[in-house]
Amino acid sequence: MDTFITMSFPSEISYARLASNAASMVAEIFSRQVGIWEKRQEFCHAFELSVAEAFSNSVRNAANPETDGQIIICFSSDQNELMVSVRDTNPAFDPDIPAPDILSYPDRGYGLLLIRQLMDQVLYSRENDMNLLSMIKKAG
Amino acid sequence: MTVEEKKCHDLTIVSINGSLEASSVPGFMKSSPALTDSQSIVIDLAGVDFLDSSGLGCLVTIARKKREQGGDVRLACLNEKLRRVFEVTQAFRLFDIYDDAESAATTAANK
Amino acid sequence: MKTLIVIREKDYGWLSPFFPGVNPLVMPVCNKPFIEFLIDFSILAGSSAIRIISDGPLNEVERYCEDGSRWGVDVSYASILGNDSIETVIEKNRKYCADQRLLIISGYLFIRYENRQELRHCFAMASGGTLAENERGSIVLAGTPEITGQLPAATPFSLVEFDSIDNYFRLSAEILKEYPSPYVLPGYCNEPDCHIGRNVVIGKGAEIRKPVIIGNNVQIMKGAVVGPSAVVGSNVIIDRESTVSRSILLDNTYIGEQLEVVDRIAAGNILVDPRSGVSIAMEDPHLLSSLPGSAHIGSGLFRYLFHAIVALLLILLLSLPYLMLVPLLKIQGKWKTGSFTFHDIRQGKNLRFVMPSIADEGGIGSLAKALSLDRFPMLFRALAGTIAVIGSFPVEVSHRLEAGYAATGYRPAVFSYAEAEDWPVNAEDSAIVEQFYAAHGSPVRDMVLTIKAFLNRIHSKVQ
Repeated sequence: MDTFITMSFPSEISYARLASNAASMVAEIFSRQVGIWEKRQEFCHAFELSVAEAFSNSVRNAANPETDGQIIICFSSDQNELMVSVRDTNPAFDPDIPAPDILSYPDRGYGLLLIRQLMDQVLYSRENDMNLLSMIKKAG
Repeated sequence: MTVEEKKCHDLTIVSINGSLEASSVPGFMKSSPALTDSQSIVIDLAGVDFLDSSGLGCLVTIARKKREQGGDVRLACLNEKLRRVFEVTQAFRLFDIYDDAESAATTAANK
Repeated sequence: MKTLIVIREKDYGWLSPFFPGVNPLVMPVCNKPFIEFLIDFSILAGSSAIRIISDGPLNEVERYCEDGSRWGVDVSYASILGNDSIETVIEKNRKYCADQRLLIISGYLFIRYENRQELRHCFAMASGGTLAENERGSIVLAGTPEITGQLPAATPFSLVEFDSIDNYFRLSAEILKEYPSPYVLPGYCNEPDCHIGRNVVIGKGAEIRKPVIIGNNVQIMKGAVVGPSAVVGSNVIIDRESTVSRSILLDNTYIGEQLEVVDRIAAGNILVDPRSGVSIAMEDPHLLSSLPGSAHIGSGLFRYLFHAIVALLLILLLSLPYLMLVPLLKIQGKWKTGSFTFHDIRQGKNLRFVMPSIADEGGIGSLAKALSLDRFPMLFRALAGTIAVIGSFPVEVSHRLEAGYAATGYRPAVFSYAEAEDWPVNAEDSAIVEQFYAAHGSPVRDMVLTIKAFLNRIHSKVQ
């Protein structure tokens, strides 16, 4: 896979929308290139929402919200899939938390559930004291 | 994000315009006392173009608080993107969802 | 006219326990998803827009039907709560239902009709009211008739009893035998009672007996007998000398060798006897016959030797192109090395691999990819015996890793059986091919398939 776009954002929640809009637009460009037609909106929304969730997770997990950490978002593509990875310097987290039980009115915990459902593949790893959450979705 | 309120059959319809997500949720919760009191309301989401898990969490919280106090919240006009969020999280099991805010308010008033 | 299709979870509660992974709304009836029968009916009745409404999940339905453009109608979706009355359902869809003649199909119903033309006529003339109902649901029409005229004496459609696994089973057989034409079943239909999908391979001496319907990507091996009255889904293998008759095989099912499947519904590892409603889940995720032990595949030293020889041959063959092409690619920046972590279940540990990727444009990139140079570093792993030359696609470590892999001869390898057979590589399809060969592998066969996989990659680039 060829990394082709890298973006870096301050670790503040007010930038989440910027990051997710950017993700949506990258997905839009990719889907035009590979020719996703009917499902383009769904494809772009998956990236928009997943990046928003990953981003706000990162901001929320920051050990010390005062330090000016950065959240780095990379996009890379293959002929038939787009991958976005979100990297931060926060403490490690458990990506396998169970889905919340909706009937008990949970007010949070939907983020990773959404990511897992909208993306085809989600990989979490810890490299060089950084969290790396990679999310892949296939075209079509 | 902007929030508007209007009355319909003695029921408050809260219309949201913009995106309901992590950074706009705190402002939204403070925008109207109708969101936190015990009266039933209708939240019109027609103008919401983006909803994330924080936004959903806040809707769930409003519903829980209102229902604890005997009130209710109904949702109206979810677009495709919002519906997908409700579908994936199964939040559709919690809400009365209408495709039109007026009829949500009318039927709530007649109940 | 617009249609509301209202189906509640409790309506299909009888079906859900049998096939836990399948949403009953897209449960295939003669290889056609259930919901499509209702969509067809709505369209034949004159609807231009259909809204599918449920208190349960709809995402699989949405994935299948999308926006309905393939049928030339608008399909939309809405959620309700489980105890909403039909009046509330209409209120909740007030905007959609406004000022239109409305057809409401409520319940998990199967509608029988024979004459497609009559339906349109009947619905245009019928005045409002309940047109059909049984204890499972109803068909209701609201609004004023579009045209006036004499209604046919009998309604041209009726509700079929559809509330037990036995009913489902009998209905499939009945549609296949007596009513294929009004419902338009999927597949190529050159002669009556015989529908065959895409990419169906029928082995030597295999017999197909009508009536039969076969889905896409199906392998019927040597000497197998399929039919009469067999519904075979997609991504199915029916192995040597097995018989499938009066049965339904749902998608992604593998029927082992010399088995007799008669009067059964098989889905993955689940076998149901429709008469008694007894269902058995097999231990293997796919196989209906027991897997031969790994000794059969050629375990230990013997197998290793074969794989090592093949790996060595490939290394010798590829080292020259590797040494020539890779530096060029590196200069061009088209050779990227990445690493992936794979899980080796047999050893119970994670293995870290260097897995290069080649940017696939321009002559050298394509040539290198055709020669499988990206797999070159992995061949040394095969030589060292950590992985096999041919087996399964290594499964990346992620939470998607299913426990089931352990039981099915999962063997991470340089090339996969799916590549050898040139099967579309997506998780479910390739898993079936891999499992087939895991059960039938022998060292010599492995060698042949490795060469095949290697040549297939060249072939796909040359095309």
